[in-house]
Amino acid sequence: MLEFKNLSKTYDDGTQALKDVSFSVEPGEFLVVIGLSGSGKSTLLRCTNRLIEPTSGSITWDGTDITNADSPTLRTIRRRIGMIFQHFNLVKRLSVMNNVLSGRLGYLDTWKSLLYRFEKTDRENAMRALQRVGLTEQAYKRASELSGGQQQRVGIARALMQEPQIILADEPVASLDPVLAHTILGYLERLNKEDGITVICSLHYLDLVQRYATKVIGLRDGRVVYRGTGEDIRRMTDAEFKEIYGEDAERVGAGPAAAATAPAVNTPEEAE
Amino acid sequence: MAKTPQEREQLRQARVTARTAAQTPLVGPAGAAVASIILPGLGQILSRQTQRGVLILSAMATSVGIFAWRIAELGRRVDGFGATILRALERRPGFVALVAVVLALVWLVAAWDAYRCSRDRRRPTTGIFALVLAGFFVLGWQIAEIDVVKLVREAPEALPPLSRVMWPWAAAVEYEEQAVTAGADVLAGEGPAPERAPQVEGEPYLLVEPNVGQMTTQDEDFRPVPGTRITLTGTGFTPNTETEIWWEDPVGNEFRPREDGEYLIVTTDEQGSFQLEMTMPYRLTPPSAEGPFIHRVEARQISTVGPPRPSEALRLTISRMIETIFMGMMATFFGIIFSIPVSFLAARNIMSGSRITMAIYFLTRTILNIIRSIEPLIWALIAVVWVGLGPFAGIVALTLHSIAALGKLYSEAIEGIDAGPIEAIQATGANRLQTIMFGVIPQMISPFISFSIYRWDINVRMSTVIGLVGGGGIGFLLVQYIRLLDYRSAGIAVWFIAITVATLDYVSAEIRNRLM
Ligand SMILES: Nc1ncnc2c1ncn2[C@@H]1O[C@H](COP(=O)(O)OP(=O)(O)O)[C@@H](O)[C@H]1O
Ligand SMILES: [Mg+2]
Repeated sequence: MLEFKNLSKTYDDGTQALKDVSFSVEPGEFLVVIGLSGSGKSTLLRCTNRLIEPTSGSITWDGTDITNADSPTLRTIRRRIGMIFQHFNLVKRLSVMNNVLSGRLGYLDTWKSLLYRFEKTDRENAMRALQRVGLTEQAYKRASELSGGQQQRVGIARALMQEPQIILADEPVASLDPVLAHTILGYLERLNKEDGITVICSLHYLDLVQRYATKVIGLRDGRVVYRGTGEDIRRMTDAEFKEIYGEDAERVGAGPAAAATAPAVNTPEEAE
Repeated sequence: MAKTPQEREQLRQARVTARTAAQTPLVGPAGAAVASIILPGLGQILSRQTQRGVLILSAMATSVGIFAWRIAELGRRVDGFGATILRALERRPGFVALVAVVLALVWLVAAWDAYRCSRDRRRPTTGIFALVLAGFFVLGWQIAEIDVVKLVREAPEALPPLSRVMWPWAAAVEYEEQAVTAGADVLAGEGPAPERAPQVEGEPYLLVEPNVGQMTTQDEDFRPVPGTRITLTGTGFTPNTETEIWWEDPVGNEFRPREDGEYLIVTTDEQGSFQLEMTMPYRLTPPSAEGPFIHRVEARQISTVGPPRPSEALRLTISRMIETIFMGMMATFFGIIFSIPVSFLAARNIMSGSRITMAIYFLTRTILNIIRSIEPLIWALIAVVWVGLGPFAGIVALTLHSIAALGKLYSEAIEGIDAGPIEAIQATGANRLQTIMFGVIPQMISPFISFSIYRWDINVRMSTVIGLVGGGGIGFLLVQYIRLLDYRSAGIAVWFIAITVATLDYVSAEIRNRLM
């Protein structure tokens, strides 16, 4: 179980990105974080594996304090938390294979890895991970040659190499078109259902939230303004939605029936 | 948001009123024109077109000033204002008249421009500046001493050396020379005739008749007093071949005597014989030397034998070319090594941490910019003073310039690094070294290699000319050949430079293309 307690983050320039955020995530959950651009979603996800240092509060994972872990411990924690990004964040000049293999870095002997010398089993596992996302053909292409959707699948394969218990996904589909969004989230859903990996994902499209979330957290100006289950959000009213997305936001997603068939056509805020 | 046409019209009106209120001309159109006649640009300034007025005023002042200077130059050595102008007009009537007309035109147009500025309350067209430019063009033509006639007139003169430079390959090879010679002694002064060498069958033989005589001398007025006429008869030489006559004085100095200003040369007949008459030449003998002296006269046939082999010019050129390429390579190598640490100091994203690091960043940038803005050729001049003539001076100069240029390019590559992949690698649990190896270096490597190869290309190109100022390499050889008027050898060097630079250009572009 992952527990956030009174988490706050104030950036050096004084921006309060998170204010007293508390919630918990059960293993196997598909938690979706929603909120306007700038509401603190990325900050929250990055605090989870301490790519950003929280200012106060704590995050504990099955009793281990992530916020106070020293750096070797932090690395062993990080290697069990996969992360995928809006802009994929692949190393573009490396091959797809090497990108996937880089997911193993947290487990490897430094010197061997510096020379890009990976174990045979790692290579086999990397191939298997690529197989799961349907990219075996592309294994030895350069990452930059792939399309956006393919790059995000490489991102998922890289996360898989970490044998993660948690996957953090920061707006994983915001740079992709709606059809691809379903493909990518479909992969995440399979990892969640079949492998029991906990997924914490920030999303923009309400239909996607309604379709995939088992639990939802709404952020606004760094505060938690909404908590609900997937069921709740499927029954969400305009008033509640405005509470999260601000007064001038309009409800864009269709009802649950439409959400299952048609991808969203509009977003409450432009993708960053 | 859509606006109705009425709204848009209102907005436009409001804008016009707001602007004209601030720009009400201080004088009427006529006043502005008069003001600009008195002082070009004044009318515009009074019409609240200050920038335009100042621009016109300074352009006029500059061109009138330069014009006055040129007239003073042309009319140098005459006194008086009017006389100077007349003299200048006499020497370059076209130039003086043309500029005067253009200036007068600009003056008038400036007045018309001021009139319109005041009347229309807005900037007229930019035609007046085109006119000013035309004036500058005429002035520039004269100042830069552009002389198209000369370009054409001198072309025939330049053609022979140029053609040698363009097609120098005759000087690229040489042959082993074989000499067929025979000589005979001649006594200058009084005394017994020197003993004649015996004639050997099958060997060339030269008979001099008489073999005693007087050398050509000079009288008190340095007029030549011709010496004895002698007849040279040669036998047993190679038939139908040019034969040179050489003279060796008693001291052992050789020279080719002339008859009527031409070197003595004769062609043998079918049998390999020749006969030739000549005057014993003038030779300055030391005053201490007295009495009779034995001179020697020789007939020589030089012929080439065997296969062609590379000439000295070709061999030198190749060795200097190799030196040049390595100079460029070493300079690039040192440039890379030193510019890597420097580039980090010049990368904003790395140095933005604190005030002190920012100060270092600005300092580094400034120094790099200064070094870069000084041409490598000038650095080479300095380096020659520093470490002396030779390739090392060239390397020092090119290295300095490379550090500055590469430092800037590398630092820009560092600034352009995408933080996303680095973050992603960190998130996998990678440590610092792994993050650098997987997240940073792959992003840097391609611009890094590409810039380095580009720099190598530039450095070799530069090192071909850096020798002009003594920095070693092929340029050094090239100026020497040019100074010796040895255009063929210079041509060989030019060809090699062209071939090397073109090859390198192609190779470096090709590698960079593959990397991209
Ligand atoms: N590195 C940073 N320095 C200062 N302010 C930041 C930084 N990153 C984000 N912020 C600010 O923190 C707030 C939350 O940002 P973010 O977590 O990126 O929101 P979201 O991902 O929901 O769009 C925003 O106001 C943003 O401007
Ligand atoms: Mg974000």
